Amino acid sequence: MISGNEPLTLYELNALVRGAINERLSSCYWVVGELSEVRETAAGHCYIELVQRDEATREMTAKARGTIWSRIYSLLRPYFLEQTGQPFGVGLKVLLQVTVDFHELYGYALDVRDIEPAYTIGDIARQRQLIINRLQQEGVINLNKELEFPALPQRVAVISSATAAGYDDFCHQLQNNPYGFHFYTRLFSSPMQGARTEQGIIEALNRIAENMDFWDIVVIIRGGGATSDLSCFDTYDLANNCAQFPLPIITGIGHHRDDTLLDIVAHTRAKTPTAAAELLIHSMAAQAARLDNMANGLVALSRELLSDSHRRLQAMVQRLPVATALLLQQHKHRLDILQQQAAAASPQRILALGYTLTTCNGRIVRSASDVEPGCVLTTRTIDGEITSVINEIKR
Amino acid sequence: MKDIKTYSEAIARLESIMSQINGGNVDIDTLSDCLREAQELINFCRDKLFKVDEYVKKILESIEAIDNE
Repeated sequence: MISGNEPLTLYELNALVRGAINERLSSCYWVVGELSEVRETAAGHCYIELVQRDEATREMTAKARGTIWSRIYSLLRPYFLEQTGQPFGVGLKVLLQVTVDFHELYGYALDVRDIEPAYTIGDIARQRQLIINRLQQEGVINLNKELEFPALPQRVAVISSATAAGYDDFCHQLQNNPYGFHFYTRLFSSPMQGARTEQGIIEALNRIAENMDFWDIVVIIRGGGATSDLSCFDTYDLANNCAQFPLPIITGIGHHRDDTLLDIVAHTRAKTPTAAAELLIHSMAAQAARLDNMANGLVALSRELLSDSHRRLQAMVQRLPVATALLLQQHKHRLDILQQQAAAASPQRILALGYTLTTCNGRIVRSASDVEPGCVLTTRTIDGEITSVINEIKR
Repeated sequence: MKDIKTYSEAIARLESIMSQINGGNVDIDTLSDCLREAQELINFCRDKLFKVDEYVKKILESIEAIDNE
């Protein structure tokens, strides 16, 4: 025990600390930290815990409790959501303006006066970029985009929350398409906001994968407001699963800010569930138009072919009489020549010249050796026949 | 038409018929066969677009049944 001095009560000691802090740390400070706890009270105050982690090991290296009084929190909370697109919550890195408080009973705490959302936005963007870089390095970021879009996206696996208005909009749009196309849809239910979204969507994808051959396409949709929390669509695991999914994925998660990572890796991004349905209907309409074109083209081609053949036939018919006359004339000419040749070679003409034709037993006698003495010869002249018997033959 | 099972196959066959007729490889004797086949293919494709496929419906129902177990 220190001589001469009465010991301090704990309260007295804490009061000394408080005094020292108030004296030495009286101004406002901007401090950076990660929210490890956020608890809102019924009275509208918010108690937080702010931590600092080692970059490499993620071990905590500093920690402080803090309070945001309702007067400030009621303004700060909607402002932060509007600026960052995310609710003020655990896991976010924040830049806070604080004063340092010390209370004899509650100890060291920060009194939060203001927040700079730009810091959080920057941090989120940095995290997103890191994930994008990783997906690129792993060569998966464009895998889903490289899948061929089905000719008929008719069998549609829908991932959405059963209670979401977006799902009803989507189904209504498909079912009431003006062309009368038929679609087959099935809901694979998943939370579409909050911490369970990532796991929910991945599980839904796994269930779709069980009947992979049946589905043409996957559609991930939800009805959304402008300032709803989209951070659940910005995680590595979700982006990686979607990028590598073997069916094309269309997103329609209804938001106005930049694309989420889910939108970036999906095959096609539609703005809203209704727009996603329109996309499918348009693909079908394009096919219907293509079929009509083919049907018309076939008719035109066939007509052309038929009229071509008809034209050729008609030309032939016209040419036929001329060709026939020509052919007949040619034949007549040849006949005339033959007739003249035949006339020139006629035996009558030769007999008339005074030559005779001698036969023996019906055979023409061409040589003296054809006959013997005693044979009967028949000699034909122009005007009759002479019969004689051979007396002598000189050879 | 005999081996055609999917829409994509049907479209591919239709295009080949078109190009045959276009290329002058079809004469008047085979034209009507080509046209008959093309018409069948077009009807097949239109049915896919506009008609309810009972077979697909049945599979969908069986998938739901398995999921609901």
